[in-house]
Amino acid sequence: MMFDYTILTSNWREIFDGICLSLELWLGGSLLGLVLGLALATVHHYGDFIVRALIAAYVGIFRGTPLLIQLFVLYYGGPSFGLVLSPVAAGLIGLTIYGSAQFVEIFRAGFAAIGPGQIEAAKMSGLGAMQTLWHIQIPQMLLIILPSLVNMMVIMTKETAILSVISIPELTAVMSGIGASTYAFAETLFALAAFYWVLLEGVSAVGRLAENRVSRYLAK
Amino acid sequence: MTSLMAEMFPVFTVGVRSTILFSIGSVGLGFCVGVLICAMRLGRSRSLYVLSSFYVSAMRGMPLFVQLLIAYYCLPLVGFNVSPEVSALLTLAACTGAYQAEILRGGFLGIPPGQIEAARMSGLNSWQILRHIQVPQAVRLTFPSLLNEAVAMVKASSLISAVGVLELTRAAQNIAASTYRPLPVYLTAGAIYLVITVGVSVAGAILERRLRVGQAS
Amino acid sequence: MSTQTIIDVIGLTKSFGAMEVLKGITLSLERSQVTCIIGPSGSGKSTLLRCMAFLETYDSGRVEIEGRLLGYVEKNGKRRMAKPSETASVRRNVGFVFQHFNLWPHMTALENVAKPLWLAAGCDKVEARSRGMAALDRVGLREKADLYPAQLSGGQQQRVGIARTLAKEPHIILFDEPTSALDPEIVGEVLQVMRSLADDGMTMAVVTHEMGFAAQVADRVAFIDEGVISAVGSPQDVFKNTDNPRLNRFLKNFFDRNVFWTN
Repeated sequence: MMFDYTILTSNWREIFDGICLSLELWLGGSLLGLVLGLALATVHHYGDFIVRALIAAYVGIFRGTPLLIQLFVLYYGGPSFGLVLSPVAAGLIGLTIYGSAQFVEIFRAGFAAIGPGQIEAAKMSGLGAMQTLWHIQIPQMLLIILPSLVNMMVIMTKETAILSVISIPELTAVMSGIGASTYAFAETLFALAAFYWVLLEGVSAVGRLAENRVSRYLAK
Repeated sequence: MTSLMAEMFPVFTVGVRSTILFSIGSVGLGFCVGVLICAMRLGRSRSLYVLSSFYVSAMRGMPLFVQLLIAYYCLPLVGFNVSPEVSALLTLAACTGAYQAEILRGGFLGIPPGQIEAARMSGLNSWQILRHIQVPQAVRLTFPSLLNEAVAMVKASSLISAVGVLELTRAAQNIAASTYRPLPVYLTAGAIYLVITVGVSVAGAILERRLRVGQAS
Repeated sequence: MSTQTIIDVIGLTKSFGAMEVLKGITLSLERSQVTCIIGPSGSGKSTLLRCMAFLETYDSGRVEIEGRLLGYVEKNGKRRMAKPSETASVRRNVGFVFQHFNLWPHMTALENVAKPLWLAAGCDKVEARSRGMAALDRVGLREKADLYPAQLSGGQQQRVGIARTLAKEPHIILFDEPTSALDPEIVGEVLQVMRSLADDGMTMAVVTHEMGFAAQVADRVAFIDEGVISAVGSPQDVFKNTDNPRLNRFLKNFFDRNVFWTN
């Protein structure tokens, strides 16, 4: 089996676009999912029984089913209830919802990790509920759950590969497309794998750096 | 609606059976891989450590979907002609094996060293310590994580639909294509996955409670 | 060397990296004697005890258990690390009680005590069980035999730890701060068990901060400071008649803290 690098270089424009789209979908889906997840976790933290049950159901459904099925429902099923989405829009929304359900769980664990004593201390120091949330709970929570957040960001890089199935021209689709038309599967797929590996190790390294920076704020 | 149900039922039955078999098969095979890789990661041999670390990093560093594509398209290129089913099963097992290896390693490292010292002072040899102190506790400590991994594999097995293996997702695709009613079909498929994953979690939780009979923590 | 010596420590040194923790310790533990080892934290007293069981390797010097070198094998004046089985055989008659009990949480109290007997001491299960029950009885926990460690109080857990050690019928028991992890009000029940072992003639070495126990039960007290034994003798000698300034400062701290009524 010979490696023919020209397969990659001659299609560089297409590959470059695929890389960009993969990165955009990853960052977009992760960050939107993160924000949605934090919002839901906060509502869950302060909400009453019904709100909590609803959010728990949301988390249960989107964590209990494959992303692929969620994408199919959204992209192919959407038109049945008047929701016609471009593949990229469907992919971004799908990733966001899928990611948010995972992030809710992380943030919930974060809220739980802050001892009630600190909230009592904030109350006795005259802080209001919003002030306590913003100045005491969220900053600490972010420190505590940083490793989980980084891990989830890493997982999200890999989930973007699935988007190729609903014909989004991200890198996996581009590479397997080139592979299918040239039969150069080895070159394209191994380059694809290498891309994800490098991206993932890079994200992990940045995450470790961030963890080291903040770890000094964490009491043992 | 009833005609759609009638049309879906036999195909979904085949798909569900396949999904369950692939999940159980890959988790079981993956556990064997995981034990082996974990032993290499914790053992004394430097070269086995490097090899197994590389394996874990590679398998966890690439999307499972890409691994499936590589196995599907590239195994035949190197003269390894296996059916899509076999290649998919082996890929799933290889991937979850890397994750399970790390879970197990965490379990072994999570046992307080004092317990090993106590066993040594009680005269137990290394094999007895492994067999009676470390393994039972590592299994207990890692059981929830291994269960999570099993649930993840039920979901991950949906990806093998993309390499032409008939399982639940592929069954749904086939029905959706023939009935032109994707929404109820995919919602049904989602509901079935939910039943399976919740079922695995609940069964696991019951099993776990039985595992830690009499233990407060 | 007297035939009555159970553990003989000669010129023992031990470093962790650049830090020398033990700087030449010589100490012998005689049959039926209780030796208490006291000293400030970080003085090396726990490390010394752990070296006596070879839970910690040592750099130079010797630890001999009933005449046999522990942890190393000497040939033609050269020393190599002993195989685990050789070390296990040399320390077969040494018991060790840990600060944090180190019970195995997945086994009941009885299993903690009896299982090593049939795994390591070659007892059959029935004999292991009856010896295990006898050991639990000895520490007053016969009726707790089927409970798991997490269902026992700290004091009870430590008594199970002592029972586990007793069950192997050791010639000496090393106690590494056995009451330091316990709430003050339950320290007494563990010390009571230890005192009764001493009364029965068990050979013991106890690293402890319980000065009252040391004063009343010990035959000999060794004060370790900065990696050397800087005072050793009867409790009377060490606690009352010493002119060692660092020992006096160490003891003064203890006595000051415990004086709550003066007139």
